[in-house]
Order: sequence, then C-alpha cells, then structure tokens
Amino acid sequence: MEPDVPLGGSVSVGAASTSISRRGVEQYEALAYDLAEQLLRTEARRARAVGCTPTGTADATCAETFLRATGRRLWRRPLTDAELNALVTLAGNAATTLNDFHRGLEYALAAMLQSPHFLFRAELAEPASGSGTARFSPYSLASRLAFFLWNSPPDDALLTAAAEGRLDSEEGLRAEVERMLASPKLNRGLRAFVTEWLGLQRLDAVSKDPMVFTSFSSDVPAAAREETLSLAEHLAITRDADFRDILTTRETFVNRRLASIYNVRAPSQTRADGFGLITLPADSPRRGLLGHVSVLALAAHPVSTSPTLRGKFIRESLLCNEVPMPPVNVNTALPEPSASLRTMRERLIQHQVDPTCRSCHLLLDPVGLALEHFNGIGAWRPDDRGARIDPSGNLDGASYRDALGLTQTIHDSPSFPRCVTTRLYRFAYGRHETDGEEAEVGRLTQDFAYGGYRLRRLMSSIATSAAFRRADGVAGRQP
Amino acid sequence: MKTRIHRRTLLKGLLGGAAISIGLPPLECFINANGTAYAGGGSSFPKRFGVFFWGNGVLPARWNPTSEGTDYALSPQLMPLSALKSDLTVISASRVLTTNSSPHLSGPTGLFTGDAIVGGTVTRPSIDQVLAAEIGGETRFRSLEIGVQRSDNSYSYSGPNQVNPPETSPRAFFNRLFGEGFRMPGEMTAVDPRVRLRRSVLDAVGGQASDLRNRLGAADRIRLEQHLEGVRGLERQIARLEENPPNLAACRRPDAPPEAYADLEGRPQMSAISRAMSDLMAMALACDQSRVFFNMYSQSVNNTLFPGAPAGHHQLTHDEPGEQPMVDAIVRLIMSDLAYFLTALRNVPEGDGNLLQHSIVLCTTDCSYGRSHSIDDYPLIIAGSGGGALATGRHIAARGENACKVSLSILRAMGVRAPEFGVGAGRTTDGLSALSP
Repeated sequence: MEPDVPLGGSVSVGAASTSISRRGVEQYEALAYDLAEQLLRTEARRARAVGCTPTGTADATCAETFLRATGRRLWRRPLTDAELNALVTLAGNAATTLNDFHRGLEYALAAMLQSPHFLFRAELAEPASGSGTARFSPYSLASRLAFFLWNSPPDDALLTAAAEGRLDSEEGLRAEVERMLASPKLNRGLRAFVTEWLGLQRLDAVSKDPMVFTSFSSDVPAAAREETLSLAEHLAITRDADFRDILTTRETFVNRRLASIYNVRAPSQTRADGFGLITLPADSPRRGLLGHVSVLALAAHPVSTSPTLRGKFIRESLLCNEVPMPPVNVNTALPEPSASLRTMRERLIQHQVDPTCRSCHLLLDPVGLALEHFNGIGAWRPDDRGARIDPSGNLDGASYRDALGLTQTIHDSPSFPRCVTTRLYRFAYGRHETDGEEAEVGRLTQDFAYGGYRLRRLMSSIATSAAFRRADGVAGRQP
Repeated sequence: MKTRIHRRTLLKGLLGGAAISIGLPPLECFINANGTAYAGGGSSFPKRFGVFFWGNGVLPARWNPTSEGTDYALSPQLMPLSALKSDLTVISASRVLTTNSSPHLSGPTGLFTGDAIVGGTVTRPSIDQVLAAEIGGETRFRSLEIGVQRSDNSYSYSGPNQVNPPETSPRAFFNRLFGEGFRMPGEMTAVDPRVRLRRSVLDAVGGQASDLRNRLGAADRIRLEQHLEGVRGLERQIARLEENPPNLAACRRPDAPPEAYADLEGRPQMSAISRAMSDLMAMALACDQSRVFFNMYSQSVNNTLFPGAPAGHHQLTHDEPGEQPMVDAIVRLIMSDLAYFLTALRNVPEGDGNLLQHSIVLCTTDCSYGRSHSIDDYPLIIAGSGGGALATGRHIAARGENACKVSLSILRAMGVRAPEFGVGAGRTTDGLSALSP
C-alpha cells in the first residue's frame, strides 16, 4: 500500500498536499477487488454484510440497501441519490454480465473503494450561523475528529451524531469527544501521533552492522517501536499521567530481545506479544525516551553513534528548535580515532572550531554527547573503546552531568510541553500552524500545563476547541 | 468489514468560491508546454528514455577521464563499464546552476527539472515525466519506476509533491508486468468480460468526482485531477489488454524472480536485486510495456551497508579519511551493476541493432564529491544514442556548461520540440552541441 509521503517530516501534513501516484492507483484497484471478494465471496460474511436476500440476479432494491449502508461508512457521509443510482446500475450491469447478484455487488463495492470520496478526505465548509465565519460541515468535522483521535474513519454513532446535528452544539460535541476518548480506538490515534512525532516509521529502514552490534537482529526495530508506543499508551491512556514522565520514568515495556539489550531480567508477566511492564532499577543510568533503543538506534549510524544526529533529534523533536540545513561545499570528514583523538567528543572538536560548522553544531553535538554511553543501537557501554566518556554539558545555559541530568533538564524546560502541543496540533490539523495560530498553540500549551500535562486532556482541548471547527482559520482569515 | 486502508489524505473544500485552509505553490508550471512529439518518423523501433540514479556522488579524481574525445581512456571508477564504452558518452565538468541550497537534493532536482527546490519540493515535473507525457500514452504503462534500495522516495516527479515511488521488489515488479493481464504477442484469446467491467468501474470512479471537483480549491482540484489522471491511465492500461499486443520478436515472458531477497548478515543484496530488476526491465522494454523508466538504484544520503564496507555509504563519504578507498569500491560496485543493466538492454536485439541503441539512459548521481556536496563538475553518463540522435563513444569535458543543456539535448533527441529547458539560473535554450552526432 502506498503510504502518504511525509512533508516537513510529518506524514499527516504531507497527506494534505500529496496525491496518489499511478502505481498507487493500480495498487488500490487490486486491493479494492481483493477486499470486495473477501467480503462477498464467503457465505457467512456476505449474509452479515448484505442484509437482504436477492430475489434474482438483478435485484435493485437489495443492491440499494447494501450500497446505501456500506457507502455511508466508506464515504463517511450519506450518498446522494445520484451517486447511489449510478452504483446500483453498475452492480446490475455486472450482475447481468456475470449472471451472479453478489459478483455484481463486488464491482460496485470496488468502485466505492477506488473513489476519491473514499481515498481522500474532503473537508467541506459551510457558513457558521450568523457569525460571518465558516465552519466544517458536520460530516467533515466527524472525519476530522475520528482521524485525529482514532486514526480511523468515523463509526456509526459519530455519523449519526453528525446527521442529527449534535456536533453543532458545544455539549453535543463534548459528549462525542468524551465517548471517543473512552474508546479503545484512542490507542490507534495516540500510536499514530507518537509514530509521527518521533519519526518511528523510519525504524522500518534502519540498518546496523551485525558485526559491530552483535545483539542487533532484524526483529529489534519492530520491538523497539513497540516499546516506545506501549510506554506512551501506558502514560497517556492507562495511567492518564503527566506526559512529561515519558522522559524520566523508570517504567518501560520490554520483550526478551529488548531485555537482553538493556541487560535486565525479562518480564515475568507478559502480554500475548511477549511484552511486559518493567521498572528499571533505581540506580539505572537509563530512563525514559532518551534511553529507548528506538530513539538511540534511529539517531545513530549503522556502525557507530552520532552525537550530531542525537542532538538534532532532541532539538527538533523534543524542543521544536529549528536546525538549519548543513551548508554545501564544506569538507565534512571527521578525523579517525587516534591516540590524541580517542573519543567521539575529541573527534568532533573540529565542529566547534571551524566557524562554518560552529554555529549549528554548537546546538547539536554537545547535547548529543550526553548520550555517548549508549552505543549505536542503544546498549550501555562504560567507555568508548577504552577511552573515558564525558557525558556532561549544558542545554541553553542549564548544565548537567550526564544523560539523566539532560533528561531532567528537558523535562523541566517549558519548551518540551510547548513542543508536544505543537506536534499534536499539526497532527490534528494535518498541516503546520501559521502565524495567526501561535496564540492558539500558546493557549493549548497553557491548558496542557493547568491540566497537569495530561496528553488525553490536550487531545480533548484540541478536539473541542472552537478553532478545530472553524474552516477559515483561527484568526478568521485564510491561513 | 475488514478494511485496512487508512488514508489521511486530505482535500480541502471551498466556501463561496474561496479556497480554505492550506495553500500550495501555484501549479501552472505543471502543465507541460514543451510541444508535442514528432509523429512516428525514422526507425520503426520505439525510442525509450530512462534514468539510472545512485546516491552520494563519486570521487571526482577517480571518476573523471583525463583525456577527451573518442579516443579517451576510461577512469578507474568507470572501468566496470569498459565493455560498453562505444555505447556511452561521458560528460564531465558541467555544472548544475540552480541554487545549491539542499545538500544532495539540489543537484538532481536542478538537472531533472531545471529548477531549484522550493518549499521542500520540486516546482516542475522531472525529465522522465515530461517525456512520459509525450510518449507514454502509447504503451500499457506510461512509465515504470523501479529501485534497488527499499524506499518510497525518488527524483521522478509528475509535479510538485507528486513523487513516483520506485518498486523495489523484483517479484512485485514481475507480477505487475508479467502477471495477470500480460499476453505474449500472438497469444490473443477471447477477452475476459471482467476486463470490460473493470473499465466501467473506473469510468464510474471518474464520474463520481465531478461534483467534488467543483467544491475544491484550485490546488486540491489539481491533486484530485492528478489522481483521476492515474485512474484514466489505468483505464487505458486495461484497454490495451483488449487489443492484440504488438509483435516484437525479442519479447519473452521471463521466469519469476524469488519472492524475497533477505539481507545477508545485515546487508541488503543490492547487486542481486539490481540484476533481477535489470533483466525484468529489459524484457518490459522489449515487450513495449513502457518506453520511459526511472531506475532509483539507491537514495540520496543512503546509509546502505555495502559488502565489505565498514560503515554506511553516506557516513563513509563524509568520514572516511584520505583517498576514501571504501567509497571508491562502492562507486565501482554500483558501476558494475549499471554495466549489467545496460548490457541487459544491449542484449535485446531489435532489427539490425539493439534496444540500448534505441534508448537514451541518463546515468547520474546527486553530487560530484560526496564529502563536500559539490554540484560543480557534475557526473553524467549517457548510454545509448536514441536511434542515432546523440553521439556516443566519447568523453566530453563540458567545462562550466549548464548541465541542463544535457537535459535539453535529450528531450530533443527523443523527438520533443522543446524550445528551452529549466527556469531561472537553470534555464537554457541550447542543447550541448558536442552531443550532436
């Protein structure tokens, strides 16, 4: 399946400006017939899905019943009469050609599945009563809510709420958002957000030299992603805790593979997928997200660490600082390790001396060097090939002694909750915030703080905000 | 219902004629103003165009030949191509003149589109897609995009944000080409009625969009159009299945490649995948399934672990000291895979010549010296002459010339009446004269 292409590092933002390639169209066609067959070829599924017994090869009434109900779910709104008629005709023609009512339905279903009404989310606006502003149509709002909170299309109840006008009122909207936040589908939305926020989809393509990292195997990337997603779920949903704990908690989720990389005992009680909740020892140098294999392996090279990439991750993903592109026509070679340049810190010194490099690398390397005790896949190492590692440094004036100190500094920085808010806002809106919207992001950040930094509450604040419903931008103008 | 499709793809609606929400760069430039292809003419064998691209540049000191003209000596990094020397033109010393603002990305974008990167994407279609718009309509597939490194990225763009991702699985590529729907010349049997039904479904899909189209802003309408263009392309593809395939002597249905190429000791089997893809592409072209391709061997900034290399490719280009022997070995390995690909094309006989002679393959990378991201002295090879439309068997040192001249020469050699190529600093109205036969 062709993925949405990320834009500015964000898949949900990319989705708002990319289209579907020709190969994607071909793949959708094949998939549409595959799904239609799955649904309509086996007796049991068919009976449940179709809901009526055809009177003959062509039965327009029965076809219409099925297509009306299915269309509403797939297109996330009721079909117009013209749309419905066209599909009923298509099903009838195919049924006659193939002399089989249900085969005929397959073609109409395949048409719905390949339709732009299914593949694209059209957000349509209408005038908001009396105010001279625009709001999203109730069905568009239902899709916005569902893709944001559930990363899924709206369910029947939400579509019914839209149809009955209940999303138009403050109370009605709150009631639906409350219901959605209590649904198990919230996990899907949260996982999609965290994956995008931390770039975890890139774990699919990570490669590590197995000669250098002997404990790395092809199942590690998926396990590493599961750890981070499980912890986020645990904090944000199960415990509804202060989300900043994701940086400092000693709790995490591991399977046997990750336990061996972390050199801890595998969990005694596990879920069906082999993962279990553990608490790292009190004296563990590893805590929270910056101790996860996912982050540490992604922000590293196939054979070594990379303080530069790790610094970039912290700046961009945790603090939302802008890091400029590296300049061109610069010799970027690092000196090889030698007797005088034993550690990464020593080898990177050129970055601090050369005036071209200095301005950016001062932002990046010193921060990333705090994580040098974690090797290129995130396993602990006491030294760098025998040389002592110095993990101390300072983050924008606040000095720290080691990785835990850095983690605490980020945890205490007002930039972190603001950054989480900004990233969640982009995920919800499917685009970057614009100038007029900084006040809204600021307001949401404050609200996040008042509520004890609970991510679920932040999701609720965004979903129920007036801005999320307005189709003409927060500032009441074209964004 | 078990559906696993989760698209977030957004279209924004209109309110009272005014577009709401996101703004995209204007897409007027997407419309191809390059004129039309010459109808028929000359050789009875179709001309093909393709790109072979690899990431992370070369080592200029070991890449550029030291002598010029037809009697030049191949450089160390070009040695793997020695058996193909008479079919190649090596062009050195030209420069991509569009802004070098984005390491690795600026060079290919400038060469392929003639413009700089704006807002993180291209402003215009890449040269393969310009040609696909001209000559792609006659074949089952308008263009074919393949790759070796697993990735959805490419430099093949149909327009801003419209990337054409490569197929990197040989088996999937085989199924797409030679699976259901492929017929050998002369194999015509009664057409399955379901083929016509598939077409009527696609027709209905197009019809469903007309109402939506009127409610969208200009940018989103273009996105919707691009999607519908894909749907119409698929309709045409299916229509081809209802026709008798062209009678091409060299066309064979190849054997299916293995289901998967597992990494060996954590290293992808780049050469094995590349060679399987090469054989399939050669047969796809021999069977006239398409006339335009983009072969994305490896991505810009890729950190692929090549056999024997102590670190990822990109990291080595920056960190390996001295003469960079490891980087050198990787470039030579890629050139030997390129040689295999070009040889596969040359092994397809067509009339008195071969498929490679009837093709133009532009072989290039994303910068000259990987360590510094320079886009001066741009590495370019043209393989094949497009049926005698370009000179081959020589090294042209095009000192200081605009690399887009090469792109324009290619467009013209492919039969496009193009008055110019590129915009701003990249724009040229002249081809590279030394490429004339």
